[in-house]
Amino acid sequence: MAQVIFLRYIPGDTLLHRMDGRLKLLCLLLLSVAAGLASEWQHYLALLGVAVSALAAAKLPVWALLRDWRFFAVMAALILVANAFFIPGDPVPFFPFAAVSRQGLVAGLRFAGRLLLAVMICSVVMGTTPLARLRDALEWCLRPVPLVPAARVAMMMNLTFVFVSVIMDNYVEMVCAQKSRCVESCKNPLKRIKYLVLPLLTQTMMRTDEIVYALEARCYSEVRTPASFGTCRADWLVAGVCLGVLAFVILW
Amino acid sequence: MTVSCALFTALIIIGGYISIPVGPVPLVLADFFVMLTGLFLGARYGAVCLTMYLALGAIGLPVFAGGKAGLAVFWGPTGGFLFGYLLAVVAVGFIMGRNKGSLGKGSLVRLLAALVAGNVLLYLCGVPWLKAVTYLSWPAALGAGLVPFLPGAMIKIAAAFALGRALLPRFRPLGDERCLS
Repeated sequence: MAQVIFLRYIPGDTLLHRMDGRLKLLCLLLLSVAAGLASEWQHYLALLGVAVSALAAAKLPVWALLRDWRFFAVMAALILVANAFFIPGDPVPFFPFAAVSRQGLVAGLRFAGRLLLAVMICSVVMGTTPLARLRDALEWCLRPVPLVPAARVAMMMNLTFVFVSVIMDNYVEMVCAQKSRCVESCKNPLKRIKYLVLPLLTQTMMRTDEIVYALEARCYSEVRTPASFGTCRADWLVAGVCLGVLAFVILW
Repeated sequence: MTVSCALFTALIIIGGYISIPVGPVPLVLADFFVMLTGLFLGARYGAVCLTMYLALGAIGLPVFAGGKAGLAVFWGPTGGFLFGYLLAVVAVGFIMGRNKGSLGKGSLVRLLAALVAGNVLLYLCGVPWLKAVTYLSWPAALGAGLVPFLPGAMIKIAAAFALGRALLPRFRPLGDERCLS
């Protein structure tokens, strides 16, 4: 699990690595809205073009990412199959399965495409942005929102990503440990959930306490020196491309 | 509490990716962790957790079940379940009240009532939304959004009850923070 790089920062010195975190968040928002609104094939092609270009520009390890995306590929395949079989419509000519409808197949491809695009775009953003810079950008975005403690919320989001990795590692360890104890032969779902979740929760709560003590030991405070940001022309160009893609999806 | 909120948000995210194959419909653990969030953190901080979870998904991070992301998910077929999570966590936290560190007989009844109420609210919000968005008839909407998940929901309620009973007395308040004793 330590080799899993999805949602983790991969150091580098590219245009996207140097890009302002605030604009990167804006791009993520614009592209995710565009992926949600995409309905025609040209929309998906435009989004795929942007995602692939971003991956190439960020020089992320594509093969390692592809390995991590297997889970999402399986999810996308399941969505495709479920839609193809369960949405009624016209039969697909020359297709071996009579129950598959053309409308279902199209809807399934759209859903699967959206999922994979969201994962690709998010991988690029998370892979090129250190968590600290993401936290600073989030804090900056939340600062004008009334009644929201921006620093605390940004810290919470930062810790959430740390915990996702920690829990993933614990989960894989737990599954291996349970497998070695032949838990798969246990047919009682209640027991299986209990055997998995009880130690997982216990371990992660202990980890929480360790983090609390570590923060206290380092005198962590929400009153911090505000982060400094800097944008260059290339950053605005990338944001402009993302805005252009969204406009294309809405207007075309 | 900041760290605990982050922990439970992470657990809900992971829950969307964990599925236990125990029948024709696999058990996805996101709603299970939503219930646990209400139990352990209460209504107020549970709502904070869920708001953050929804916000992370809204800005485009693939945190929703199965890796979905973006604002479009909110007005999709499963959007009602996402808002239902928020209602469910508040209901569970509200019914359970503040964790006093021990569970008597009355507390166990309240624990069960909280979990059942949370699940009922979740489906009350999710199924009509599914019906409205997909233009299904009521029997079809119930068939797609409720009936296949009922056995799983019951298993999850039973598992959350067992875990709450085992862990709530150990997850005690410590000033403003809570820790595992």
